[in-house]
This record gives sequence, structure tokens and C-alpha cells, in this order.
Amino acid sequence: MDEQSLIHDAQGGNLDAFNTLILHYQDSVFNTALRILGDDELAADATQEAFLSAFKSISSFRGGSFKAWLMRTVTNACYDELRRQKRRPTTPLEPDTDDGEEMDSPRWLADPNMTPDQKAEADELEHALQHCLNNLPLEFKTVVVMADIQGMDYTEVAVAVRVPLGTIKSRLARARLRLRECLQGFAELLPASFRLEEGSSA
Amino acid sequence: MNQRDLELLSSYLDGQLTSDAERARLETRLASDRNLRAVLDDLRAARGLLRQLPMRKAPRNFTLTPGMVGRKPPLPRAYPAFRFVTTLATLMLFFTFGLNFLAPQIASPGSGFGMGGGGAPEIYSAQEAPAATEMPAVEAPAAEAPAATEAPAEPSLEMVPIPTQTLSAEESARQAVTPAAKEGEAGDVGAEDQSQVQDVPPPQVETPPPVPITWQVLLAGIALVSAIIMLMMRRLAAERWRRK
Repeated sequence: MDEQSLIHDAQGGNLDAFNTLILHYQDSVFNTALRILGDDELAADATQEAFLSAFKSISSFRGGSFKAWLMRTVTNACYDELRRQKRRPTTPLEPDTDDGEEMDSPRWLADPNMTPDQKAEADELEHALQHCLNNLPLEFKTVVVMADIQGMDYTEVAVAVRVPLGTIKSRLARARLRLRECLQGFAELLPASFRLEEGSSA
Repeated sequence: MNQRDLELLSSYLDGQLTSDAERARLETRLASDRNLRAVLDDLRAARGLLRQLPMRKAPRNFTLTPGMVGRKPPLPRAYPAFRFVTTLATLMLFFTFGLNFLAPQIASPGSGFGMGGGGAPEIYSAQEAPAATEMPAVEAPAAEAPAATEAPAEPSLEMVPIPTQTLSAEESARQAVTPAAKEGEAGDVGAEDQSQVQDVPPPQVETPPPVPITWQVLLAGIALVSAIIMLMMRRLAAERWRRK
């Protein structure tokens, strides 16, 4: 069954049809939440909340990119989660080192072809990228996650974030620049093909 | 690097420049401006790293259950009928309890009028009593005085239990009035009345409750069985819903 038919059935209250859509999109939605929130548990909660909210409001979907519409829902769920965290700050379970870095690296989706060294390297690179993403302002982070991690085009991102296309371009450019500056501090972790030239864009 | 150039480079990287002319102008500048090329390379590198971030698999399925979206299992069509029967039988059961409790009191309101069971009769007998006590004291012969003095006591609290159980409202009211109504006849009349009342043994007639207990048991049984059927219907519906 194609996506449009599933959406149509879901709008008629068919939960099975909506669950089929969930199974198709849950990885994308979870990864978006993970990169915005930077925490597995919070991302899982936001994902569940997003799908629940999406089902309740699916009648408001009027066509266009369903993925963009879903991303708007998960973005709202992430913002709600961050607001809750701000009201009720929690201590992370992982102990920090003396310089404030977490001791445990995030879990990496295991690639059976990777050697232990490669895996450790990838772990560190992912950690570095997530660290830099976390340092971005929320509105920049949301745009860069959708455009560069989810591979959505500008129009889809504009629909998801509900801001004009020009604002998306501006936010994306500034987010990429800030990330580049942040990643300069992790130069030794970057693959040779991605080494950044120091001070090139000052 | 100004903001405008940064946005142009970022959009150029994604192939999102609005016009061919704009792209041509930027490419001309890139050919001659080393710094601009370096920024473009940095943006490309940053985008490349982000694209290399692994897509994590969702830690679990996020599919929704009917319970999560606030749906309840569909109940059988007969369910409302059983609910109605349960409610009706329960209400009727309570009604019969109330009826059985109140009926004896409603059936013999005279107990109150006669001998001080309620407020008004008490006032009545209290007003009559002094008249009855005064008359014998003045007009009756001295020998009969004790009987006369006892007579006014009849309507008072000592006699309350007897008329309550044995006499109708009118009879008890008449007896209560008797001493006062016959003020002129002296206290011996009152004594006579007293002896009559005292001679009649109070008949112990127990009136059956308006609703027999068998009916109440029947109603309770209907309510109980209907409630159990309702419960089973709900459980079966929930199980079918889960299996679905």
C-alpha cells in the first residue's frame, strides 16, 4: 500500500495504517530527536510523544511532504522535552571527567565490518559532532539536523520549522560555520579527507 | 566573510541558488577569491561530517496501541441492556429497603397524635393536663381525688407506649382529649377511662413489610447476575481487543 493510501486510512482513524507509517519513519524521527536532544532516553520519549501527537492531529495534514509534517511534530516534541528539562534539571548518569567531558561515549550502531580501532574512532567522532551540535542554538541545530543529517531539502525544512525559506538558508549557513569552528578543536579525530583548514574563513 | 556571502556559499553548496545568473557570478568570484574558496571547502567539510553521522536504529518500535490513543474495546450490543437491568434492579432494591423501613411509621401516624409521640400532641396533652388536674382538685370529693389526680397523668409520657401500638390515630386522640373534654364531670370519669385503658391488653400484631423479603432477594440476585455478566463482557472484549 502506498503512503498516500496509508495516510488517508489513518485520517479515517485506521490505527494499523498509521502504525505502518510509524514503522517506516521511526528511524528518521528517532534520529532527528536524538541529534536535537543529544540523549537516547529523551529522544525515545520525544519520538513516542511525536507519533502520538501526530496520530491525534493527522486530520490537519493537508498534503505535501508527510516527512516534513512529521518532522515538525517531532521538533515540537523535542522543544517540549527541552522546556521540561529546563524546569526540572537532572544530573546525568554518566560521571564527568575533570575537564567536564562525559566519561562514557555514546553507543555506536555496531557495524560488523569495523575493526575495534575504527569503531573507537567513530565513537569519538560521533561524540565530537554531537558535542558541537549541542553547542548550537536550538533553531540552528534543528535546521542543520534536518538538512544535513536527514537530507531534507530547503522547502521541506521550511515547512517543518514554519519559517521562510530565506531564514532557513541563513540559519543553515551560520550553523555550518559554527560547526566548522567547533570541529577545529577535534581536528585529530577527523578523517584526512575532512581536515579543515585553520582560519580559512575568518 | 559577510553574512550574505556565507549564505550564498551554503546555498551554492546545496545547489539551491535561486538563479543561474547568481550562480555564475559566485563561480566567477570563487575562481579569483582564495578565501571564498576556503570557506566553501569548510562548509562542505562540515556538511560531509554531518552526513557521515550514523543513522541509529530506533531502540524499539514506536507503534501505538488502542489504549495509548484513548480507544476502548468495543463492547457487545447487549451490554447497555445489562447495564440498564443492573441499575434498575439496584435502584428498586434500595427503594424496597426504604419502603419497608418507612412503611410502619407512615401506617401509624396516630401514635404521634395520641400520646406525645410528636411535637404537637405533646403540646396538646401538656395543655390539657393542668386543666384535668385542677378540676378534680377543686370539685371532686376528697375520696376520689387520688383517682382524679392520676387521670391527668394518662395522656402524659407513662401512657405513650400503649396507644402507639394498639390504637388508631383517632382513638388515641379521643382518649387524649377525654379528660379535658369532660372537665365538668369530675375526676372519676378520668379514672374510669384509665381503668379501661389499663384493662385492654396491647395486641401484639406485627404487620408484614410492604415488600416481601423474597422480592428483595430476587432483585439483589438479578442485580448481581447482571453485573457479573457485564464484567465478563468487558473482559472478553478487552481480550479480543488485545489479540487483534
